[in-house]
Amino acid sequence: MEFNFTQMLEHHLLDHVYFRLPDIFGVSLPVSKHVLVMWLSGVLLTALFVPVAMAARAGRPNTIVSLVEIFVLFIRDDIVVPNMGPAGRKHLPYFLSVFFFILFCNLLGLVPFSATATGNIAVTGALALCTFVMINVLGIREQGFGHYIKSLVPPGMPVWLLPLMYPIEILGLVTKSFALCIRLFANMIAGHIVILSFLGLIFLFGTIFIAPASVAAALAVFLLEIFVAFLQAYIFTLLSAIFIGGAVSPQH
Amino acid sequence: MDKLIDPDIGLMIWTVVTFVAVVLVLGRFAWRPLLQAIEAREDKIQDDLRLAEKARLSAEKLKADYDKQMAQAESRTRHLLAEAHKESQNIRDKMLAEAQEENERLSEKARQQLALEQQRLVRELRAEVVSVSVKAAEKIMRHSVNKDMQEKIVQKSINDFGQWT
Repeated sequence: MEFNFTQMLEHHLLDHVYFRLPDIFGVSLPVSKHVLVMWLSGVLLTALFVPVAMAARAGRPNTIVSLVEIFVLFIRDDIVVPNMGPAGRKHLPYFLSVFFFILFCNLLGLVPFSATATGNIAVTGALALCTFVMINVLGIREQGFGHYIKSLVPPGMPVWLLPLMYPIEILGLVTKSFALCIRLFANMIAGHIVILSFLGLIFLFGTIFIAPASVAAALAVFLLEIFVAFLQAYIFTLLSAIFIGGAVSPQH
Repeated sequence: MDKLIDPDIGLMIWTVVTFVAVVLVLGRFAWRPLLQAIEAREDKIQDDLRLAEKARLSAEKLKADYDKQMAQAESRTRHLLAEAHKESQNIRDKMLAEAQEENERLSEKARQQLALEQQRLVRELRAEVVSVSVKAAEKIMRHSVNKDMQEKIVQKSINDFGQWT
């Protein structure tokens, strides 16, 4: 069989649609591998964190509760509070969900025969869209619509510059969210491409003697990917907190 | 490979639905109880720390009081000891002086008695000597003596007598 690198990449990186639900308003809802992985990660999150929360509330801490608390306290004390102030604590459930949902999707993507949902631009785009909505909704809710619109441009701006500044700032707002989407997508897919490239070398050269080097390099990249899975979940959460914090209280 | 950067709108809708469900379910059943438990524990730790600090301060105050009392007691003890020492010194000096005085008084008395005794003895002896002399003279007178001897004896007696006075 002829080895086709493009086909192999597409097979491993693209979503596999099992079937499509009937169209609603002209949009077809696919039930695909990435959707199933997201649901699995949601189920795993619920199955893990609900008992943990119950144990913590009952005052029966164990190893898993302590481990989860380390992450939760990190997100609270090192991501949300420094960027949003103590008032940001009431939005913690959103940031905790962002972090752990992305983390679980990232890690599930490393399991054999699974797929990386966060390596799909539609998934990361939807997540970035959620943060974009949060930025604007919370900004308007906390500051009021007029103040929020005013706070989009830096204070003390000359009036004649406003027609120029508003498009720039609104574009910047969109770009920030778009960058979130691209950053997560690219980081999650890049490691996979590198691993597949190393393993593809075996088939390109057509010799088994290249295999030890390929597998060793792929393993190294795989370990790096475990780190990247945590790192990108952290970065997405951190940047969300910075953006939302900036919209909620512009002086920060 | 263009499909890689071509987002599927249906998948985006699924993602939003799934993610919002995760936020709602976990927010209600996981994050809220967990954060409450953590905050309750942190409050308790803060309270415990405050209590421990209060207890430490009161213990320090107690210790300071105790130290002060100890110092006071010590200084009073020293004072009392010094006083007792002075008192004993005074008593000793007084007793010594008294003893010396008594001693002198007694020896003076003894000396006086001795002198009186001596005078008495002299007086008695003189009387004795006179009586002895008279008796001797009597004896001699009774014997037959010649005139010469008689004269000699009388003379001698007179001389002796004169010597005694």
